[in-house]
Amino acid sequence: MKRRDFLRTTAAVGVAALTFDNLQAAMSTNSLMVEAVPDMVAVMGGEPTQLLERALKEMGGIGKYVKKGQSVVIKPNIGWDKKPDFAANTNPELVAALIKQCLNAGAKKVTVFDHTCDNWQKCYENSGIKKAAEAAGATVLPGNDEIYYKEVKLPQGVKLKSTQIHQALLEADVWFNVPVLKNHGGAKMSIAMKNYMGIVWDRGYFHSNDLQQCIADSCTWTKKPALNIIDAYRCMRKNGPQGRSVSDTSVLKTLIVSTDIVAADTAAIGLFNQVEKMDIKQVGHIANGEKLKLGTQNINKLNVKRIKL
Amino acid sequence: MKFNILKVIRIILAGLVFLLVLLFFCDFADIFPDFFSNLLRIQLVPSILAGSIWILVGLAILAFLFGRIYCSVICPLGIFQDIIARLTQRGKKKNKKKRWYNYAKPYTILRYSLLAICAVFLIFGITTPLLLLDPYSNFGRIAVNIFRPVVMEGNNLINWIALKFNNYDFYHVTIYTVTTYSFSIAAIALLLVGIMSFLRGRLFCNTICPVGSLLGLFSRWAIFRIVLDEKRCTGCRLCEKACKSQCINSKEKTVDYSRCVTCFNCLDRCNKKGIGYRFAYSLRKNYHSVSEKNIPAKQNKMTGEYGINRRSFILASTAMATTIPFIPAWAKKNEEIDITKLTPITPPGSRSLKHFKERCTACHLCVTHCPQQILKPAGFDFGINYAFKPRMVFYEMAFCNYECTVCSEICPNGAIERLTTEEKKVTQVGIARFVKDRCVVFTDNTSCGACSEHCPVQAVRMEPYIDGLTIPHVYEEMCIGCGGCESICPVRPIKAINVLANAVHQVAVKPKEEEIEKINSEDLDFGF
Repeated sequence: MKRRDFLRTTAAVGVAALTFDNLQAAMSTNSLMVEAVPDMVAVMGGEPTQLLERALKEMGGIGKYVKKGQSVVIKPNIGWDKKPDFAANTNPELVAALIKQCLNAGAKKVTVFDHTCDNWQKCYENSGIKKAAEAAGATVLPGNDEIYYKEVKLPQGVKLKSTQIHQALLEADVWFNVPVLKNHGGAKMSIAMKNYMGIVWDRGYFHSNDLQQCIADSCTWTKKPALNIIDAYRCMRKNGPQGRSVSDTSVLKTLIVSTDIVAADTAAIGLFNQVEKMDIKQVGHIANGEKLKLGTQNINKLNVKRIKL
Repeated sequence: MKFNILKVIRIILAGLVFLLVLLFFCDFADIFPDFFSNLLRIQLVPSILAGSIWILVGLAILAFLFGRIYCSVICPLGIFQDIIARLTQRGKKKNKKKRWYNYAKPYTILRYSLLAICAVFLIFGITTPLLLLDPYSNFGRIAVNIFRPVVMEGNNLINWIALKFNNYDFYHVTIYTVTTYSFSIAAIALLLVGIMSFLRGRLFCNTICPVGSLLGLFSRWAIFRIVLDEKRCTGCRLCEKACKSQCINSKEKTVDYSRCVTCFNCLDRCNKKGIGYRFAYSLRKNYHSVSEKNIPAKQNKMTGEYGINRRSFILASTAMATTIPFIPAWAKKNEEIDITKLTPITPPGSRSLKHFKERCTACHLCVTHCPQQILKPAGFDFGINYAFKPRMVFYEMAFCNYECTVCSEICPNGAIERLTTEEKKVTQVGIARFVKDRCVVFTDNTSCGACSEHCPVQAVRMEPYIDGLTIPHVYEEMCIGCGGCESICPVRPIKAINVLANAVHQVAVKPKEEEIEKINSEDLDFGF
C-alpha cells in the first residue's frame, strides 16, 4: 500500500469512527470532510442504474473508492435460484451498473461471486447476475467449493473467532457489499450485515453458535467494504429469504449507500417498516454489530442525504 | 489387403457411439444436451424396462436382418471390449501366432441359464441378476465410477492451472458420489470384461451377457450373414484367426450365428474370396454355412454349428426350473424388509420404491448428471434388490433443486419417469420430520431457522416459541422431501430435521399464491 493510499484510508476510517456519539465533538473539527461526503445517501424513485449513479455522485464519485489499476470484488446476494422479480437476489441491473462504474474508474479487474444456497450455476443463471455482470465486463467466480476459501482470524469476534473467506476477497484491493433488502426466517432481516454470510465457507457454524452474534462477528473482518450498497429497488417483505412468489415482494425503487454497515441496515429497516412491520430489536445482529463498534443505529447523528428523483 | 468397407463403416459408427456414450456418462457439468440420452434409450435392457415396444421391434428386426450388429455398433460395453482387444493386438494379422483367435465351442448351458435367470427374476420384479450382467449398466457403472472421477480430477487440474493464469472458465468439483460399493462393482466388471476380452475377444458377450444370448436367438436366422463359400474355401483358417467371437469353424466351414457379432473382421482376410457377407437364403447353392452333409447328426439344422443341442437345452431348462421355486421366496423376503426403518428416498419421477426397484439397473447415469451430487449409489442397506441403485442423500449444501428435473429426463430405463417442472414441484418423495429435542433453538435458546430458510415451499415455518424466539414447524402436506432443511441443519451428528422417504410418492399441496399487493413507491417516504 502506498503511503498516500494509507493516509486516505485512515481518513476514511476516521470519518466512519467519527459517527459515534462520544466522538461528536471531534466531528466538528473535521467538518470539511463531513460536508464533502455524507455518511449515508438514500436515493428513491428511479431505475437501479439511475439510483446508483446519483448515490455514488453524492458519495464523492466512484473515483473516491476505486483507483486506477485496482482489482475490485463486488459481492451481491445471489443466494437463491430465483428470477430477479422475486427480490431474493440483488438486482442484476444494479450489479452491472456498479461494474461499469468501477471499470470506468480504471479498475484492472472486477469480479463477482457469492457462496450460494441453491445450486450455484442455477443461482448465477436465474438471478440474471451472471449474464449482466459478464456483459458489463466482470468476471463471475464460483464460490461453491471449500478450496476457494482461506482461513482468516477475527480477533474481535465474540463467538466466531476465525472463519474461511473466499480468496477473491482476500486478494482484492477494494470490495463492495451489495445486498438486497429482504425479510429472513432465521436472522429476521437479510441486508448488508447478513450478506457477509456469502463470503464465508462454513455457514453451519453460524447457525449452531448463535446466528445473530456470528453475523456481527463476521463483519468485524478488518477488510471492510468500500461501500455498503443496499438494493431496495424491490424488497422481499415476507417468506424470506427465498420468497414464495412475486406477491411477497414490494417495489420500493430505493438505494441506500453507506460506509457504516450498522447505520445502513438500520435505515433499510426503517424503509422496510413502511411495507411490513419488523422490530429492529428482533434483528439481533444489528445491535450486536453496534456493540462491536461496527457502526451506529442512531441515524439522526449522521450526515444523511435523502434524495427523491 | 482388400478394402473392407463394411468393417470401416462399423468402426466409424461404433467409435462415434462409444465416444458419445462415454462422454455422456462422464459429463458431470451437464454440458451435453439431454437428447444424447436417446443413445441410451435404444439400448436393449433399458428399452425392455421402459417398455419401449417400438425400439424392441426395431432391434429385433435389426438382428433378423443383419445379425448381432447391435453388439458391434450400439452396445458400449461391446465396443469397449473391441477397443481392449485392439489395443492388446488380439487377432491382428501381423502378430505372433499366440495372439490369434481360434474357433472355440460355445458355453451353451451357461449362457442360456444366465439369460433365463435374468428373465425369470425380472418377471418377479427382481432386477439384481440383470443389473449384474447387463452390458449397458455395467458400462455405465465403469464409466461413472472409474472414468468420471478421472475426468473430474483432470478438470480440477486444469482449473488449478487456469487459476494460476487468472482464468476462471473452469471450476473445481469435489467427488461425492463414488462409494466403496459402486467403485467395487465397477472395478470387478472392468476387470472381468478386461481379462475376458484380452484373452478371448468376445467371450463375455457370448457367455455371460444376457443381451448377447437373447440377440443370438434372433441372429441365427439373420437374412444377411457371414458365409463361407464351400468351393472356394480351402480351410486355411485365416478368417477364423481374425474372429474375436471364435465362432468360425474353418474345418467344418461353418459359422455359429448365435455368436457372430457381425464385426466384418473376417471379410478381408480371405485370399480366395471364400468368405462374404451375403443374403443367406437365395444363395444357398454357392454359399452356405450349414449344409446337410457337414452337420453332425446330433446337431439341429436351424441353430447352426454347436447351437442348442438337446442335451444342453434340457440342462438349461432344468437349471432354470430349479431356480424358479426360490424366486417368490426371495421376492417375498425383499418385501418384508421393514420399509419404515429402511426406505431409501427414490428420485422424483420414480413413483414408488417398487416402481424404481423394478426398473433401475444401476447404470448410474443419473448419478453423474445430478447437479447436486445427491444421487448416491446404495450398498446392501436396503436389501439385495436395491444394491448399487441410487438413492437421494442430503448432505452439506446439497439437496434436490426445486426446479431441476434432470434425472427424470435422462433415465433410459423409465425407472425415473419424465416430469415437467410443475409436476416435480409438487412431487413428494418424502416428508421432513422435525425433532425438537435436537434443535438448537431448543437446546441453546438461540435463533436459527436455517431449515425454514432453505425450504422452497414454505413447508417448514418458524413459529413463535419462547423469549421472542421462533422454532420450526413442518406442514407435512406441503413438504416435497427435497432435503433443503436437512442439508442445512447445523445439528450434528444427527440432524434435528430429516426427510423420511415415501415408499409411494405423493402429491404435495401447492403453496397458496397470494394477491400481489400494490405499493406505489411514489407514496413512500424513506422511513428513517
